[in-house]
Amino acid sequence: MAPDLKSDSSAPQPPAKPAKDAKKKKDEKEDLSEEDLALKQQLELYVERAQDSDPGVQRLALESMRQEIRSATSSMTSVPKPLKFLRPHYGTLKAFFQKMPESELKMYMADIISVLALTMSEEGERESLQYRLLGSKGDLGSWGHEYVRNLAGEIGLEFQKRRSEEEYISSLMDLVKQIVPFHLQHNAEPEAVDLLMEVETLDILPKFMEKANFKRTCSYLLSCASYVPELEDISVLDIAYQIYSKFEQHTDALRVALRLGNLQYARATFAACKDLSERKQLCYILARQSETVELDDEIPMEDEHRDVLQDIMNNTKLCEGYLTLARDLDVMEPKVPEDIYKAHLIDGRASAGASVDSARQNLAATFVNAFVNAGFGQDHLMTSPAESSGSTSTGNWLFKNKEHGKASATASLGLITLWDVDGGLPQIDKYLYSTDNHVVAGALLAVGIINCGIRNDCDPAYALLYDSVTKDDPAVRIGAIMGLGLAYAGTQKEEVLELLTPIISDSRVGIDVAGFAALSLGLVYVASCHEDAAQAILLAMMERDNDDPLARFLCLGLGLLYLGKQDAAEATFEVVKTVNEKISNYCQVTLESCTYAGTGNVLKVQKFLSQCSDHLDKGESHQGAAVLGIGLVAMAEELGSDMALRALEHLLQYGEPNIRRAVPLALGLLSISNPKVRLNVMDTLSRLSHDTDSEVAMAATISLGLIGAGTNNARIAGMLRSLSSYYYKDPSLLFCVRIAQGLVHMGKGLITLNPYHSDRFLLSTPAIAGIVAVLHACLDMKAIILGKYHYVLYYLVLAMQPRMLMTVDENLKPLPVPVRVGIAVDTVGQAGRPKSITGFQTHTTPVLLATGERAELATEKYTPLSSVLEGFVVLRENPDYVEDHLN
Amino acid sequence: MPSVTVSVKWQKELFPSVEIDTEQPPYVFKCQLFDLTGVPPDRQKIMVKGGLLKDDGDWSKLAVKEGQRLMMMGTAEEAPKAPEKSTLFVEDLPENEQGVIEQGFTAGLMNLGNTCYMNSTIQCLHSVPELRSALKSYSAGAGTDMDPSSHTLTLAARDLFGELDSSHRAVAPLRFWTLLRSKFPQFAQQANNGAYMQQDAEECWTQLVYTLSQRLRPSSGETREATLKNLFGVDISSRIKCAETEEETEEAETVYSLKCHISQDVNHLNEGLKQGLKSELEKTSPSLGRSAVHSKESVITRLPQYLTVQFVRFFWKRETKQKAKILRKVDYPLVLDVMGFCSEDLKNELKAPRELLREQEDREAGLKGKRKIEDGPAPSSMDWSTTEQGSPTGIYDLVAVLTHKGRSADSGHYVAWVKQENGKWIEFDDDRPIPQREEDITKLSGGGDWHTAYICLYKSRVPKKE
Repeated sequence: MAPDLKSDSSAPQPPAKPAKDAKKKKDEKEDLSEEDLALKQQLELYVERAQDSDPGVQRLALESMRQEIRSATSSMTSVPKPLKFLRPHYGTLKAFFQKMPESELKMYMADIISVLALTMSEEGERESLQYRLLGSKGDLGSWGHEYVRNLAGEIGLEFQKRRSEEEYISSLMDLVKQIVPFHLQHNAEPEAVDLLMEVETLDILPKFMEKANFKRTCSYLLSCASYVPELEDISVLDIAYQIYSKFEQHTDALRVALRLGNLQYARATFAACKDLSERKQLCYILARQSETVELDDEIPMEDEHRDVLQDIMNNTKLCEGYLTLARDLDVMEPKVPEDIYKAHLIDGRASAGASVDSARQNLAATFVNAFVNAGFGQDHLMTSPAESSGSTSTGNWLFKNKEHGKASATASLGLITLWDVDGGLPQIDKYLYSTDNHVVAGALLAVGIINCGIRNDCDPAYALLYDSVTKDDPAVRIGAIMGLGLAYAGTQKEEVLELLTPIISDSRVGIDVAGFAALSLGLVYVASCHEDAAQAILLAMMERDNDDPLARFLCLGLGLLYLGKQDAAEATFEVVKTVNEKISNYCQVTLESCTYAGTGNVLKVQKFLSQCSDHLDKGESHQGAAVLGIGLVAMAEELGSDMALRALEHLLQYGEPNIRRAVPLALGLLSISNPKVRLNVMDTLSRLSHDTDSEVAMAATISLGLIGAGTNNARIAGMLRSLSSYYYKDPSLLFCVRIAQGLVHMGKGLITLNPYHSDRFLLSTPAIAGIVAVLHACLDMKAIILGKYHYVLYYLVLAMQPRMLMTVDENLKPLPVPVRVGIAVDTVGQAGRPKSITGFQTHTTPVLLATGERAELATEKYTPLSSVLEGFVVLRENPDYVEDHLN
Repeated sequence: MPSVTVSVKWQKELFPSVEIDTEQPPYVFKCQLFDLTGVPPDRQKIMVKGGLLKDDGDWSKLAVKEGQRLMMMGTAEEAPKAPEKSTLFVEDLPENEQGVIEQGFTAGLMNLGNTCYMNSTIQCLHSVPELRSALKSYSAGAGTDMDPSSHTLTLAARDLFGELDSSHRAVAPLRFWTLLRSKFPQFAQQANNGAYMQQDAEECWTQLVYTLSQRLRPSSGETREATLKNLFGVDISSRIKCAETEEETEEAETVYSLKCHISQDVNHLNEGLKQGLKSELEKTSPSLGRSAVHSKESVITRLPQYLTVQFVRFFWKRETKQKAKILRKVDYPLVLDVMGFCSEDLKNELKAPRELLREQEDREAGLKGKRKIEDGPAPSSMDWSTTEQGSPTGIYDLVAVLTHKGRSADSGHYVAWVKQENGKWIEFDDDRPIPQREEDITKLSGGGDWHTAYICLYKSRVPKKE
């Protein structure tokens, strides 16, 4: 009996049980069956013989012992019998091993001790690894899966130690290279990836990849990427990109490239992909992320194809697809605001219909009408219903809005004809000649809205807008500036930079114009870290008296330049610390929250939280931005969002009023267009919408609209209806309720505001920028949205996308096929072939997809060219398909 | 002539080959497009590299390539013009008018201490637009001839109605109340503690209507009847029959409200009205020379524009010496048809307009009823609203209800429920106007301690002029 038996109970593999077994063995030897007893004696004999002086006997004994161990393929839940019986001799064998001369036999012995150490070694000793390294280095898989896993774990620990002591690690690496293929062959891809990540040599992964295992490996890599520290995530994604490229999974490779924000990769993928249909699919993906790859001569193809691809990439087909979806779902009929308010369903204290127009309520109706009929190209208020009534009806509604309200009303025309550049611009044209500056401003904004996310070779937006940027009237200027920002968001168009920087730097122009210019610049150069743009905004901040609610747009513009770029903004951050203290704090927080937007960085979330714990004097507005920052950073993945929700709940209870006011907005951001998944968010917002602090109530109401945006969610619609009768006497809150109602029914339920797409893998930067702009504006509701800058609500258009799955054939004609739509299930790292959706229903495309839903093809007749079924998907006929004649 | 052929996209049209003479200024090119599209050159916007094509631009600098696609924007449509009459917004109105309009109903009346009987009466009467306009035209100099106290009361009523129309805060009817008390001392009853006591709203209503009917007469010289009589007066002709002598006399009178008697077998307003028109009374019989029991049966000979129906809910209880209340539930309809209570002559008069009204309503409901071809003038050619007859059809819509809550007429609480011109019902509980649903209005029919209808005001339905 080994003296150290008791302490052995803490051996890594199966804990506790061996000790118990051993005790039992001591007391009740007779319990063993005859067979076991024979095995035990046999093994004891081998141990004795192994210590024999004759190498021949030794070898034979070791061989036999090895045989016994290997053949014991019992389950993992209990210790294999041979190991169990050999436990008492572990010490003996180790002692003998020390005395053995260097020889092949000694290595043999090391192998066996290494295996025995699996159950015997003390924690932290890593004896298994130690003896393995001394051993024969033979096939380690033959010792069983558990042994390999144990070794892998010990390697990780040993690596850390050697790394810190700067020791030699090549012997470990040899072992790693043995273990990784073993894992990969045995469907243990996550373990292989974990090991490589632990020893920081992920770069060797691609060469082990085979057709059978690369998909599972990559899906694990991609989901890891959200949880590893910054910089390392880039290398993880990089490896995934290499693997996808290696196996010619171009669509997946492109997605990873886009996630990395690496356009060289995107271009390389595009060049590597030779198939025209696949290229079309790539273009659709690029269009969804509003990126482009320049189709120059370096990517050889026929001119005809070049035009087709360019068209897809320019998003010119978006409008067509959206309308096809609308026709298919039979929702083309325009809706008027009353259809949304549904006042007849409100009982009792329904607000009596007013006999005189209220400018505020008409403005609300304008927005509701715009959001609800967005993209349909027809409505009952703004677009003249054909020739029957001519321009009279249009004119009427337009002039039922007051002053700056007319700007929003005219701009709503842009939203109604969203994405339809050819059809929409002619309708706006006449307003550009209006004598009313507000109407002109609105028309300019409408031009920008129509072109949002659409690229056009003729560049109509720039041609129409650039002249007006330098006009005298601030309203017209703002209209043109905002229009440029919307039309060219994310394009980094240099002309816009040249146009806007002088305005931002000119200290004579009003803070409103400068603010909008900064924001537009931020949008156009979103996530570009553009030096000149940042410089211009910083200068403006230093020179101006920033005591205006609109000064926040300067900060936000700066932040957007570095959206999601993490530490790339460090230098700028230092400069911000030195600017006028009135704005410095707000700007720092905004910048930091933007730079870490969508990264899930826990440290930043904690930093924002600690900023919120200060109880400051009134007038400090940066805490609101910090609360938004929590949402913005944490929205990256589910776990982080859940944690952030809990933290926000605390802020609600203990925070100062300025923090409480921002909490509903952060909640809205975390669940945008996603009312179903976290129902408690809806309940919290519903509670807050009755808060005694009217600004909290307003923010909560708007947020209810945001979480239900484009879902037609009946529960939220009901809540808002009852709010509309609850607040029938409060015009400001009623306005917010109306806006929220418009948001919930956005695009009659065909549109989502979720900035995440492609299975929540990609974040659209212009989309998140647009949402953040609106949320920041909501931090000072009275001055901006309830004031005369209500058209900032149109920044939401950046995030608006049809939430559809549209299948097209290789000639891009719509192709209806049956698909199953269900709730997405996380299958990463699971064994076998688990179903990726649950609770599904079968529909025929085009279909709507809600947040958290996934689709899969329900027919074998076609194969999709994209692994993620969202947006436009090109289908190719499956050559192996055999029609099932039975049906 | 150096030329470049381009294609031009205009809206959804494409003009495939348009030749540009690069030696001519772009204005010439615009004129070419004018021929194609009809858009005048100064409304054309042509997108070229670096912006819009200028009329005097230089083609050579624009580097237009052969076959390039240009985009032209522009329409011949006029810029929308603001309507001549600019929209009036609530926000532009003076603050004290905003509330009225935003809410869609008028202000409440403050309770000055047990004055809810008066408040509810005023609110109900205030809902009659004809009365409002009649009061508005009542001038201070309309004659103090004979009855100065009713003149001042009428003036006070005029001012109070005016205040209700314009204010968005509750109005205190102080002056009106003082004058009402001085004109009708019975309302000045004081309790032990000196506070004025609760009064019967019906009495207030009757007195007020009477006073107004005295004052609001058309200017002298006209033969038309007094305004109030036209609005509220019901002409009744009664036949009184002596039970003993079978002697019959006829009587004609004008009443300002129909009574709905409530007895054991009255469950509905119609039954109550029927009973109200039949009564027994003791009176001196000229032939017998002593008082005898007479039965009285009445029929309506003229209907008013506004029909007032009073539920006789209170009776004098000798033992408690107060007006006790009958809690019995008596349903009343939203639409009342009183044809059954009319005289034969009146019934004949009502026939044609009723026919017309039904046709109109059918048509509105989407039923295409064939109009009967009749001889003589089509009934629709007449203008019913100006006839002497207050109600051409005998069909009435409920517009106001005065309810009582409590056990006796001189206690409890009076509330007015008034239908606004936009069709919404408002409960005027003194200074608090509360929106209500129409279906809840018919639930005020009694049977418990909830608000119980005491006076209903019905408005005549009139066929539209065609």
